[in-house]
Amino acid sequence: MLMIKINTMRKQIILLSIFFSCIFLCKDLVAQTKKVTVSGTVTDAGTKETMVGVSVATGKPLKVLTQTDSKGHYSVSVDDGASLVFSYISYGTKTVKLNPGQTSLNVSIKEDNKTMEEVVIRGYQKRTREVTTGSSFIVSGKEVQDVPVSNVEQLLQGKVAGLNIQLNTGAPGLRGTVNIRGLSTISTTGSGNETFLQPTSPLYVIDGVPMDADKASEFGFQQQGPGVSPISLIPQEDIASIEVLKDATATALYGSRGAYGVILIQTVRGNSEIPRIRYTGNFYMNAIPKLRNILGGTNERDIKLSQILNYGRFDDLYKISNTPFLADSLNPYYNNSTDWQGVFYQNTYNQTHNIQLDGGDSKFSYKTNLSYFSDKGIIKNTGFDRYSLNMNMDYKPTTRISFFGSIRGNVGKIKKANGVGLLQTGVATDGQKSSLLPGPSFFQATSSVLSALQTNSDAGPKNLNTYIEGRYELIPGLNITSAASYDYNVDTEDTFTPAAANSQFAKIYSYYGYQSQLYNRNNISYVKSFEEKHNLFFNLFSEMYVKKGQGSTTRLERSPNDQFQGPLGYDGYFSRGGGILTTFYDQNQISFAAAFTYDFQKKYILDITYRIDGTSNNGNKDPYAKNPSVGLKWNFNKENWLKDLKWLSYGDIRLTGGKNIFPVGTLVDIYGKYGPKGFYNNNPRVGIDYEYIPNPLLRPKNVTQFNLGFDVGLFDGKLDVIFDTYYKKVSNELFTSFLSNTLAFQKYTSNDAALSNYGYELSLSSRPLSKNSKFNWTVSVNGAINNDVLTQLPAEYNGQFIEFDFGSGYEQHLAKRVGRNSLANFLYVNQGVYDSTSDVPIDPVTGLRYRNNNSGNVLNSFQGGDARFFDANGDYILDSRDLQVVGNTQPVLTGGMSNTISYTFPSGAAMSFNIYATYTAKRSILNNALADRLRLLRDPFGIARINNIDVLGANPLAVVPVNDLNMWTGPGYTNAKFANVYDYAHEGYVNNYRYPQTLWMETGSYFKINQVTLSYSFAKKMARRIGLTNIRTFFSASNIVTFSAYSGPNPEGVTAIGRDGSGGYPVPRVYNLGFNVEF
Amino acid sequence: MKKYIICLFIIVSASQYGCKKFLDITPIDKLTGNNFYQTKEDMESNITDMYGELFDKYTKTSFAGATGEFRSGEVIPAAEGGAGRSASGLIGGHRRQTPNPQGSTDKQNVPLTTVNDRLLLVALGGGDWSGYNFSDLTRWNEYYRVIQSANLLISKVEDGIPALTAEESKRYIAEAKFIRCFCYFQMVRLYGDVVYYTAAFQKDPLPREDMVSVINKCIADLKDFRNDLPTTFTDPSQRGVRASKGAAIGLLMNMNMWNAGFDIANRNSYYQETAALGKEIMDSKAFRLLPINEWAKVAKGRSEESLFELFRTLNYNQDLNDPFAQANAYSPFGDAFIHFPYKQPEFTHRYSFSVFSSEYMQKLYPVDDASDLRLTIWFVAPFDQNASTFQLRKFALNTFADANNPNLDLNPDNTYLIMRYPDAILLRAEAAANLGDDVTAIECLNEVRGRAGARKYGESGNDIPLKDAIFLERSKELMGEGSRYFDLVRTRRVLSKEWTDNPLTADKFNRRGWTWPIDPAALFNNPKMSLNTYWIGSGL
Repeated sequence: MLMIKINTMRKQIILLSIFFSCIFLCKDLVAQTKKVTVSGTVTDAGTKETMVGVSVATGKPLKVLTQTDSKGHYSVSVDDGASLVFSYISYGTKTVKLNPGQTSLNVSIKEDNKTMEEVVIRGYQKRTREVTTGSSFIVSGKEVQDVPVSNVEQLLQGKVAGLNIQLNTGAPGLRGTVNIRGLSTISTTGSGNETFLQPTSPLYVIDGVPMDADKASEFGFQQQGPGVSPISLIPQEDIASIEVLKDATATALYGSRGAYGVILIQTVRGNSEIPRIRYTGNFYMNAIPKLRNILGGTNERDIKLSQILNYGRFDDLYKISNTPFLADSLNPYYNNSTDWQGVFYQNTYNQTHNIQLDGGDSKFSYKTNLSYFSDKGIIKNTGFDRYSLNMNMDYKPTTRISFFGSIRGNVGKIKKANGVGLLQTGVATDGQKSSLLPGPSFFQATSSVLSALQTNSDAGPKNLNTYIEGRYELIPGLNITSAASYDYNVDTEDTFTPAAANSQFAKIYSYYGYQSQLYNRNNISYVKSFEEKHNLFFNLFSEMYVKKGQGSTTRLERSPNDQFQGPLGYDGYFSRGGGILTTFYDQNQISFAAAFTYDFQKKYILDITYRIDGTSNNGNKDPYAKNPSVGLKWNFNKENWLKDLKWLSYGDIRLTGGKNIFPVGTLVDIYGKYGPKGFYNNNPRVGIDYEYIPNPLLRPKNVTQFNLGFDVGLFDGKLDVIFDTYYKKVSNELFTSFLSNTLAFQKYTSNDAALSNYGYELSLSSRPLSKNSKFNWTVSVNGAINNDVLTQLPAEYNGQFIEFDFGSGYEQHLAKRVGRNSLANFLYVNQGVYDSTSDVPIDPVTGLRYRNNNSGNVLNSFQGGDARFFDANGDYILDSRDLQVVGNTQPVLTGGMSNTISYTFPSGAAMSFNIYATYTAKRSILNNALADRLRLLRDPFGIARINNIDVLGANPLAVVPVNDLNMWTGPGYTNAKFANVYDYAHEGYVNNYRYPQTLWMETGSYFKINQVTLSYSFAKKMARRIGLTNIRTFFSASNIVTFSAYSGPNPEGVTAIGRDGSGGYPVPRVYNLGFNVEF
Repeated sequence: MKKYIICLFIIVSASQYGCKKFLDITPIDKLTGNNFYQTKEDMESNITDMYGELFDKYTKTSFAGATGEFRSGEVIPAAEGGAGRSASGLIGGHRRQTPNPQGSTDKQNVPLTTVNDRLLLVALGGGDWSGYNFSDLTRWNEYYRVIQSANLLISKVEDGIPALTAEESKRYIAEAKFIRCFCYFQMVRLYGDVVYYTAAFQKDPLPREDMVSVINKCIADLKDFRNDLPTTFTDPSQRGVRASKGAAIGLLMNMNMWNAGFDIANRNSYYQETAALGKEIMDSKAFRLLPINEWAKVAKGRSEESLFELFRTLNYNQDLNDPFAQANAYSPFGDAFIHFPYKQPEFTHRYSFSVFSSEYMQKLYPVDDASDLRLTIWFVAPFDQNASTFQLRKFALNTFADANNPNLDLNPDNTYLIMRYPDAILLRAEAAANLGDDVTAIECLNEVRGRAGARKYGESGNDIPLKDAIFLERSKELMGEGSRYFDLVRTRRVLSKEWTDNPLTADKFNRRGWTWPIDPAALFNNPKMSLNTYWIGSGL
């Protein structure tokens, strides 16, 4: 019996191959007897416009016959009385059975807005959302157009509940922070304002190819090389849809790399029988946001002099005459009013152009996207340019075989001035210079100004990505797919610093790096239904990666002159040489995954997935990480007792649970690092490196997630609600403990830290108006509450670990305390200002006033006008024992809202208005910019330490107006918030304006209008008159206004742990005029 | 249908063949543990690193000088050496200095000062006394580095390394055990109780363990494995430098004798063990005493007399910028007792930095035994206490002189001797004497004396008691090799002014006054750690 079956199948295959050849050779001969020719027009049910490229199909299995032409017209020859099926992407399908003899048929199809019928992708397989259990959200490509951005990620901000994006840098080509469902790590690097949270970006899968967005920043933000995120290389016009996967069932199939969530990006596919050319052009202006106020010229001198006269000691009066910039007001060198910030910032005008060409029919389609993007940064000598050419093609000779191939080529160019891109600390330092000094010129300016403005850098990634996928349906329901991709990325950087900008010696730096990824995926899936009730779906696949990367640098110091950058010699003593950086990697990964779905009448659904990942990072002792998940779903609207409810379009409850394992640690952590250590007895010594003790028991990080979700669609698309609540546990987090010196090694990398996130996500979208109305109004609102709790630390820390920061000068320590939010600040608590000296408490034992530090010096005592610091241990001495754990550096509530109104004129022209906003709430940020600003007043003499001698007037600093602050002005001023900032002499003893205090800790809540877009589509008639198919013009403005109680310029422009340093790159305001033209 | 699926499975799984190999990666920028310990060369270079680490530790200060000789108080620094060199006196608990002889070559009188064993703490401080870097003696980190390395190597070899033969595997295990036991023994002698572990990748903090128990564990650890070590080396460059069976026996004898001094109840079994080991090493004929006029060969290193040494020579220098760079000019014991022509240049080396007191020298070399060739070969003006004349040239006979560069200030080209054949012979004598086997004891003692041409024990009527004679013979023969103070401690002679200028009271001894203070950094990250109480506070 089985043999016969196989034999028949074999025959079938042979027959089929003959059949395919027939199709190619004699397409026209397929037509049989009793045919009728049916023709008609397809229109959009909503806009009543004719539709181009709608597929017309018939038969079983469905066979596409044609597509509508540019006038929406079609004509097909079919059997008399056949059924015609009309379909178009993102529109519903419409099936019409022809009456005998009918030859004309006009149909209208409507846009499909039902969330439930969206196609989602799970483990590289398309499924309908209805039968999947995981939590995900789809953003269509349309929503990320209209504002030109270098990195499309930033347009996702506030669009997906639970996807927290903070645009903390305006640097062109770089990315902000992206987290799905809260914190996934507690490890930080760097210090002071440059303390960064280890990036835990989601995995990006672009057209089926996984890609690592953290690649540019995996070694922190101050790494070498151009540092452009690979996401920045995808033109936004080329994006068809973006799906964000959140819970374990959705992400488990992506394995270890899906532990932090997954974002799937589909690019545009060819979809028009008649070749189409679409052009998009944007012309936009980047405007400088609000900068800090500075007092200029004589105002500055007056303030400094009055500080000295009022508060200085006797000796200080004498010092005035030794400080030329204070005393010698007639000297033209000290008699200026220079706007130093203006030296660095500029408004810029930019443009982008994108041409998209697509065509083809259901058998063969193609697309080409050619794009130019340019963004000159608002800080001079910075910017990002991108040139890209993306092509793909689909070939489906029959319904059983299909091929998809794509090639993407991108060239990015980034200019970073002398900063590393994200940080422009040189600009920040120079922006604080005294206005009395003359402005920069080649001979007079300090070298830091010149190095910011004249450093000549040529950097950027060059990326080539190829992908091919073939699919074959072996027997009905059983599909085999094989896909391979190769991605090659070259990063180069050549920086030349002229002599004047670098202590009189020119300098050359060059970087070369490459990363390559070979990727292969083989897939078998099988669908089977029994009695139309029981549906089974199996999906098995294997994945393989071969990843390599290497970077090398060369630094030549003191090259001979400014005229040539060439290799004309250098100073071997100062040059640092070069070589392969530690960013080298050579990594192989192999994975197997299986998914099984069973549903009963699409009512009750069970999803089980399992994935095994083996990576060379973990060595070969136990390289496999296992990721299981289970999901359940109940589509309750399909129950008989709810079937008849007209107002319920769909409704379901989802429950999922699963685990993702993220391999942490490297071969070095597990096996230790060995290195040469010289010679002994004339033999080479090779021994272990004693910094980290190898931990062969190191376990991968575990992300366990439980999700309960609820979806409901009401009143035929008038209201869609998605609600999710989740508990996400991150355990086995790496934590470094220090070891006893009897153990030789200094540090131990353990898995003994853990944290949890729990939260709620809600998305509402509504189209309140009737579908036939000329107005179309869409409102969507989403929000997510995420709380994180630190649940475990290595036992020896007794539940609290303070990450001390003494090196940076900021001393703003991070507290990690079990039982509260994972990353808190550890600061002195500021409780206002002492009204008068008699308010300062006196130690009843010693009779001394409350004082700063453990010093007998009476000058260290607090007095009226000083900050009232909380004496936590009650010993009348303010010292490190009074530090308290305060605040939460991570936002608790994030979300966004969007409102679109469009109106279609009778002529067919349409107008649309969109306003879109995001918000973040419940977060504490440290306003170090304000601290820096007030601390400028600590030193009216501009003292700099040169060769261990304090030189008066060597580093004069700007003065900022402080009269907008609630500052103590004298006894009787009881409600002051800020201590007397002018009393610089006393400040030196009591340190009122120290960085580690809650005075700088402010709320980071904000409501930001991200974007306003007004667009107008011309009527088709109008367009055709000038030979075009479509014209749309739009005006947009982004980053318009931020409402916040925060006293600094931008509560969003802070680091991932909430530090607002002055060194950041401000996010510009963008005004844009754009056009879409279709030929 | 099923067959299709099966076929597909086979294809898919076949395409992923050799997974394990696929996942094994060799990084080019670093050497990770999974790619190390693969070949014999890896083992050799790793073992060499352990010895190298010990060498580095040993040469950070004048190790043998401080722990073996200065501490007992007979070394007197020269006034011309200044504060830096006077630290060697402080280690011995006194502030005596030889006066500046101002050209006189006569015997000098050194004013006596009070003795205070806690002056040691001053010498460990920084500032003027930091030249010798004695404070390094308070830190045990490096020993634990070697111990972790050895533990790791043993566990790797025990897991199996295909490139090694069974014999080689056994040898490396035994050699690592020797190194590990040597570290523990060194630490026990310096600090008393220490933290003991043998597990690879030990990461949990441990308390200090009673030293008798540590030594017993070490003895058990090494004893049965000594036979896996080579008896002799075909490669003469490894002789004495790499652990041989003789080195293991020497260490076992030393450890047994140490415990015999503290584990009084069981002392006889330790003596028996030592005597047996001593017989074994002497019967093996693997080592011999070189004639005394070939002493320079012994000091140069890798001799047939050497059981174990930390080999140093000026010829092996890796610093290309300074071909004459030395590990640490203060670390060789001999450096402090020689001057021109053994040290150059002449104008800065007209005197020795220290001398031995004449009382002590006379005790070692009684006037009635002038035949001892060591007195003439090893010393110049041994009884003068005069820094301009006194020289201990035991470690000076290989002086390197460059005719083209008379100002080159270099120490003589000697090795660092740790254990020498006479050490084992005299330990056997001591054990035998304690067991009442005077015949063997005298035989052994006389073997050492005979080589130096000294009067044999028992030949004249005025011999001092046998045990004392053996003790003094050790002080004499092993002078500058770092054993005298430890002999004083384990035989409790440190309690008597008769044997040392820096004696301890019984109370101080019981409170471990003979140990070195432990750097308080040991308390970090280890709640179970305690320091040596004698050195905490004022010592009262």
